[in-house]
Amino acid sequence: MSSSASEMRFGMVIDVDKCTGCGACSVACMSENNVGVLPDETDKIRSITWLRVYQIDNGQPYPNTQIAFFPRPCQHCAGSQGHHTPCVSVCPATATDRDPKTGIVSQIPTRCIGCRYCVAACPYHARYFNWYDVPWPEGMDKPLSPFVAPRMRGVVEKCTFCFHRYQRAQNKAFTSGEAMGEMDYQTACTEACPSGAITFGDLNNPEHKVHELKKSPYAFRLLERLHTDTAVYYVSAREWVRRQADNYLSGEKLAKVQAGGGH
Amino acid sequence: MNWDRRAFVKFAVGAVVGLNASPLVPKLMDDVAIWTQNWSWVPDPETGAVAFAKSINPATQTGVKARLVKARLSGQRVIRVEGDPEHPLSQGGVLAADAAAPQQSYYQAMRVDAPMVRKEGVRGRVAAEEAVQKVAAKLKALAQAGKASQVAIIADDPFSVTGEMLMRLAAAYGTPNLVFMPSAKQTLALAGGLMFGQGDIGFDLANATYTVSFGTPLLEGFGAPVAVRKAFAAWRKDPMHRATLVQVEPRSSVTASQADLWLACKPGTEGVLAYAMANLMIQAGKVDSAAANAAGFEQFKALLAGEYSLEKASQASGVPADKIKAVAEGFMKAPKAVAVCGPGNSGDPGRLFDFMAVLALNAVKGNLGKPGGLVLRQGVAWKALGGPLDLPGAPRLDGGGKRIMGSYSAYDLAAAALKGQPYPLEALIVVGCNPAFAGPQAKVMRQLIDNTPFVACVSEFMDETAELADVVLPKASFLECWGDCATPYGAAQSFYGVHQPLVSALPQTKSAGDWLLAVAKLLGGKAAEALPFAEAKEALAARAEGLGGLEDLAAKGYWMQEKPAYGFSFKTPSGRLELAPSALGKPAAPAAGVAPSKERPLLMAGIPSLRTGAGGAPMSPYQVKILDEITLAHKDQLVVEINPQTAHAMHLGEGDMVEIASAAGKINARLHLYHGAAPGMVFVPVGLGHTAFGMYLKNKGANFFEAVEVAADPGSGLPQWALTPVSIAKAGGVSHV
Repeated sequence: MSSSASEMRFGMVIDVDKCTGCGACSVACMSENNVGVLPDETDKIRSITWLRVYQIDNGQPYPNTQIAFFPRPCQHCAGSQGHHTPCVSVCPATATDRDPKTGIVSQIPTRCIGCRYCVAACPYHARYFNWYDVPWPEGMDKPLSPFVAPRMRGVVEKCTFCFHRYQRAQNKAFTSGEAMGEMDYQTACTEACPSGAITFGDLNNPEHKVHELKKSPYAFRLLERLHTDTAVYYVSAREWVRRQADNYLSGEKLAKVQAGGGH
Repeated sequence: MNWDRRAFVKFAVGAVVGLNASPLVPKLMDDVAIWTQNWSWVPDPETGAVAFAKSINPATQTGVKARLVKARLSGQRVIRVEGDPEHPLSQGGVLAADAAAPQQSYYQAMRVDAPMVRKEGVRGRVAAEEAVQKVAAKLKALAQAGKASQVAIIADDPFSVTGEMLMRLAAAYGTPNLVFMPSAKQTLALAGGLMFGQGDIGFDLANATYTVSFGTPLLEGFGAPVAVRKAFAAWRKDPMHRATLVQVEPRSSVTASQADLWLACKPGTEGVLAYAMANLMIQAGKVDSAAANAAGFEQFKALLAGEYSLEKASQASGVPADKIKAVAEGFMKAPKAVAVCGPGNSGDPGRLFDFMAVLALNAVKGNLGKPGGLVLRQGVAWKALGGPLDLPGAPRLDGGGKRIMGSYSAYDLAAAALKGQPYPLEALIVVGCNPAFAGPQAKVMRQLIDNTPFVACVSEFMDETAELADVVLPKASFLECWGDCATPYGAAQSFYGVHQPLVSALPQTKSAGDWLLAVAKLLGGKAAEALPFAEAKEALAARAEGLGGLEDLAAKGYWMQEKPAYGFSFKTPSGRLELAPSALGKPAAPAAGVAPSKERPLLMAGIPSLRTGAGGAPMSPYQVKILDEITLAHKDQLVVEINPQTAHAMHLGEGDMVEIASAAGKINARLHLYHGAAPGMVFVPVGLGHTAFGMYLKNKGANFFEAVEVAADPGSGLPQWALTPVSIAKAGGVSHV
């Protein structure tokens, strides 16, 4: 299915040049979605962060070194040119699906049988498996949100673009009789970002800011050559940042790949 | 029916077909999935009506909106702390520390949930009356014995209502030894006081088009961090008309990387570069009239021409001359340029010389009182809690009288009390801060606590200081009590924020003010008279009278100066700008800084980060989760940065476990070779290595402040720990230094 088949396609444009790696988006996401904390979170294979902020650097020696940050939520792939959403196509339990109406890739933990095919299939490491039960010591369970079910051991979880917020916005639109506006549905990370680096909206809707932002000459997506057709765009005026979004040969020109040169 | 083979096969096939056609199989599979996952130990948060309430997090000074759920059985609880889009400073943004605030507030292993008293070495829960009685009885006995001045108080914020109550309590009780944790606000007030005659100044970042930040972590904890980010986002809004940001510091930090230009200077030479840029502007004849008419301008000009020429500054700082020149020219030409100084990367209050050099650069540029420049603030018109009180006559332990404007210093207080000169301490009261961890030289503060016969502490968390105290009084979190905070460091407009109780506090906790009132009441006499309030809320209301009353203030959440005040005036003895302040008699000049030696060949500095925490509060479990493997690795190893060349010269490699030792103490850490680290230095994350706080934080990493060596800043006399000479050796062996 290609992205054009969606009625709406919710997605993000993340300005890497504005991101300061403070982690507010990541923590806001955890608090919104009841993500658990294990006693040891340094093992990043087993630590669950739906939105992880990666630090990269340009590898240049002192004093030309620069760092940048890539906040990475689930990329909500559509798949193009005969390719599928990588995780959806491998799930034997239909625990994950791509909603053609919104373009959001869902995750239903109660259907998940814990086979972790999807974790292996995801090129973005956006899916996490609950290896352990989360301990919720005295008081830690108190700020849990009633709008997202805490997960149990043995299932996979990931970013849902705060789908419960979409449902809430739909309910509001239904009861008020007004159409759902751009600001009615925003993800927790977008709201939290103190630098305004994340913009969220319907990529197909010309009235939404993301529609224009994704057309920037500096916009790119992660691992574009896999034809995952992701819904998360990044923007950076720095070429070395853009180069790290995919595996380029040392002499390869960036522009050629961006033009859709592919394999 | 004859039950033969054919009948059996027909039955079996029928059963299989029938079973598959019925919904039984999918239904049972579904049920199995549900039953096996319906585990009692997975929490089931109770739902209820959702409401929002405004507040402010005093630790980060972010204006927030708490999302409350009013559940039928479990009552009202905060499920999230979100940004408040209507808040003028933070405009909807939050920090990781804000978003994780409910978790931190509710997680009981971190909190002090009941008053505690140590009896025969063992700490136990007691009734509130008993704990307060114990503190009051001790203070009373000391006062009666004429030892009132031998009581010291260390607190976090002099500008909060708790700070003002403490000032009144200390004066009425009779001790001159009230100090607050060191802050860059002190240094800026000193620099402003010396040069302009007034210290309530800020940087109009939101309107600046060219900003040069001298060694301060502009995007990693400066001022109210969200407000600074909002200004930064505005600079980056229009790609065609981007405002320029220049960062001057030795390490490729977040700010340096996000800046348009990074001047990688040698450690401690930021002020030199500010002077060099001012010199270039003077040479180009681009001097504002206020600066040209300043007291001591000729002296200043001669000093700069002699000592801070482009070549000399380039040599001293290691920054190529053309780069310095380019920034000076950019600064000169930009219509709204501002030079910024602030807290150092190690969380230190900054060097007075750097601050004065930066203020001088602004004055030469002529941006004083102009949009996008250095502005005077209106001030917060709160009403004093009462008439002035006589200050006790005993000499201050921190030797405050000897410093310019008598600024306080918690570190000097500790050092003097430990020496017993002029007298030792009999009792120590710590309010809302954690000196046993955050020092600044943690060991000295711990020694002070150990050597003081009686230590009481008002704390929200069971932190390192609380663990050592004789009496611990549990403080409510900002979501649970009334409180306030005033103008963040460097803000262009004066600001005053109020928080109020949104959820019921842990049963035994109170605001710090309420604990102080309880103690003052039992002390009676002057102390009780100085604080004539039944509860801390009354004190807050009395303060808020000058700002339109507490009720209106609480509904809105803040008071803020409408817009930056443009226009500038000098209140110096000469009535002019003083480039050679009368108190100094000459322009500020750097004294010999901290230098590496043969035994300690490297300089250690901190890595400021909003992930490892802001404002000295402990990290919440969610904040620990977002630490990368370049900060904390393999469960509990602190990761420090070193330049690959420096490491190579010392025969050290990536991942080596090392011991970093200064004259004050040592920490163990894991090396990460990072090209952005200045050669000859080692950079250590600040805020890890707690020995308190339960499983998420306890014993994770090592504490930067264990290795910090504090020295007095030659200019201000304030404690200074931006750089500490250290040696590095492979842990368990000797390295080839």
